[in-house]
Amino acid sequence: MIEIEHLTKRYGKKTAVDDLTFSVKPGVVTGFLGPNGAGKSTTMRAIVGLDAPTSGLARVNGKHYSEFRSPLTEVGALLEAKSVHAGRSAYNHLLALARTHGIPKRRVREVIDLVGLHDVAGKRVGGFSLGMGQRLGIAVALLGDPAVLILDEPVNGLDPDGVKWIRLLLKGLAAEGRTVFLSSHLMSELAQTAEHLVVIGQGRLLADTTVEDFVSGNGESRVRVVSPEAAQLAELLAGPGVSISSPEKGVLEVSGTEAAVVGQTAAAHGLVLHELRTDRGSLEDAFMQLTADAVEYRQSMEGANR
Amino acid sequence: MTAAVMTDRPTAYTPPGDYKLSAAGLLRSEWTKLWSLRSTWIVLLCAVVFSAGLGALIAGSIPDDQAVGGAETAIGASMSGVALASVFVAVLAILTVTGEYSTGSIRSTMTAAPKRLGVLFAKAAVYGAVVGVLFTVMVFITFFLTQALFGDNGLGGLSLSDDGVLQALLGYGAMIVYLALLALGIGAILRNSAGSIGFYIGVIMILPQLATLLPWNWVSDVTPYAPGNVANTITLVDPSGQALGVGESWLWMGIWLVVTYGLAGLLLKRRDV
Repeated sequence: MIEIEHLTKRYGKKTAVDDLTFSVKPGVVTGFLGPNGAGKSTTMRAIVGLDAPTSGLARVNGKHYSEFRSPLTEVGALLEAKSVHAGRSAYNHLLALARTHGIPKRRVREVIDLVGLHDVAGKRVGGFSLGMGQRLGIAVALLGDPAVLILDEPVNGLDPDGVKWIRLLLKGLAAEGRTVFLSSHLMSELAQTAEHLVVIGQGRLLADTTVEDFVSGNGESRVRVVSPEAAQLAELLAGPGVSISSPEKGVLEVSGTEAAVVGQTAAAHGLVLHELRTDRGSLEDAFMQLTADAVEYRQSMEGANR
Repeated sequence: MTAAVMTDRPTAYTPPGDYKLSAAGLLRSEWTKLWSLRSTWIVLLCAVVFSAGLGALIAGSIPDDQAVGGAETAIGASMSGVALASVFVAVLAILTVTGEYSTGSIRSTMTAAPKRLGVLFAKAAVYGAVVGVLFTVMVFITFFLTQALFGDNGLGGLSLSDDGVLQALLGYGAMIVYLALLALGIGAILRNSAGSIGFYIGVIMILPQLATLLPWNWVSDVTPYAPGNVANTITLVDPSGQALGVGESWLWMGIWLVVTYGLAGLLLKRRDV
């Protein structure tokens, strides 16, 4: 359980996080979505006490992170891909962290095997690829076998196999009753991994909902109809709140109504349908719609500064 | 609402209970970090070679007819390499802190130890102990080596039981530990490698020497108390007649370390990592 209450963080005059309140529950994967610079990393850094909030609170299981007697078993965090000294080997980086908590070498080797770094564990991290760095960061997060996992853009730099692997891993960890909180600016990524979504833009909360509700609530759903009598059907469907377009001959895209209504109308008038389906808006569409204002604002500001 | 969303604390995962953050753990962690970097081995090797090598070179190159003076001169000449090696030791001290900031590993470190202060003190304790043991050994090796090279000329023939010799040699070891701890604290305050090394060499080492050239009398009254100078007295065979007595020398080393670590600790607690 992660609780963020009225969290505000300013760096000088710039407000990175603005009165943010939400909570992350155990047992499900919660996605933290927002465009780059929305304040996701700052929020995550505040949770593990690296950044002190200007005001407000970030708590884990009812406590401030620094109050824990064994922080690494409470929260495992992947914050920036390379939070590692380039001159140290992956094994020694993990070992140094493990020793702070008396975590045995056995566990260090376990997480190295788990993330697939066995062959390069003795090599200096400076030579690691982005993907290997991410795997090491995930190993660090898992080291203390923690109840809460916080992962900032964990799929960055991972190859397709790695992406699939981490999705399964995170779902598995959540199924064990852990709290899993991961950020991404890639909507499609979270759509496949997360059940719950916290969406922010410009440091403010935009949505705190399930992935399903988020899509149906924000994405425009349309009914697509293919009919040889499309023109006639269009006339029958027309009404207040209903908009109809025809991208090609014999095809209608109807919004503001439901597929059932379209079907019934066609049946009542004996019109032939070749295709009738609902196009649910994608998470991507929903996200774009929700953050459009935030992005537009920033772009116009950048334009003005030029 | 799905069942998963309703999942609440009763089913929440319980982490393993046998791992605890501890002071001993922080010390072991810093020990691991220190020795797992190649730079540690290289810099300390340089320091060791310099301290014995330069001392031996000087001892061996003084012609017998110029080898005059007492124990003070003999030990001063023998230990010139040790004094120079203290620069290596101080730079490495700085890098043990600033290297974490420049590479980002500080974020891992402080996530594991979110109270933060323990990390600073563990770093200082581990590095201070390593330098203390290494340089106490080096000081004695250098002493016996240079005494052998002096042979029976005017600077040779000293023994540890001679008045003030043992005290001066131990003083060199203590001075290096003090300078290492001071440098490490500066690194923790400035967090930047180039800035910290520049500050240490410029302000701690060189400035007090240059200041004595200034025409004002009060400057020479103050310079013995400068952080880079207060340890000088304890390296002397005969410390009488110095601006700072032996006791004062120790006191001022303590004061400067308390000031440095007080500030470093305060900033560490306050600043974002």
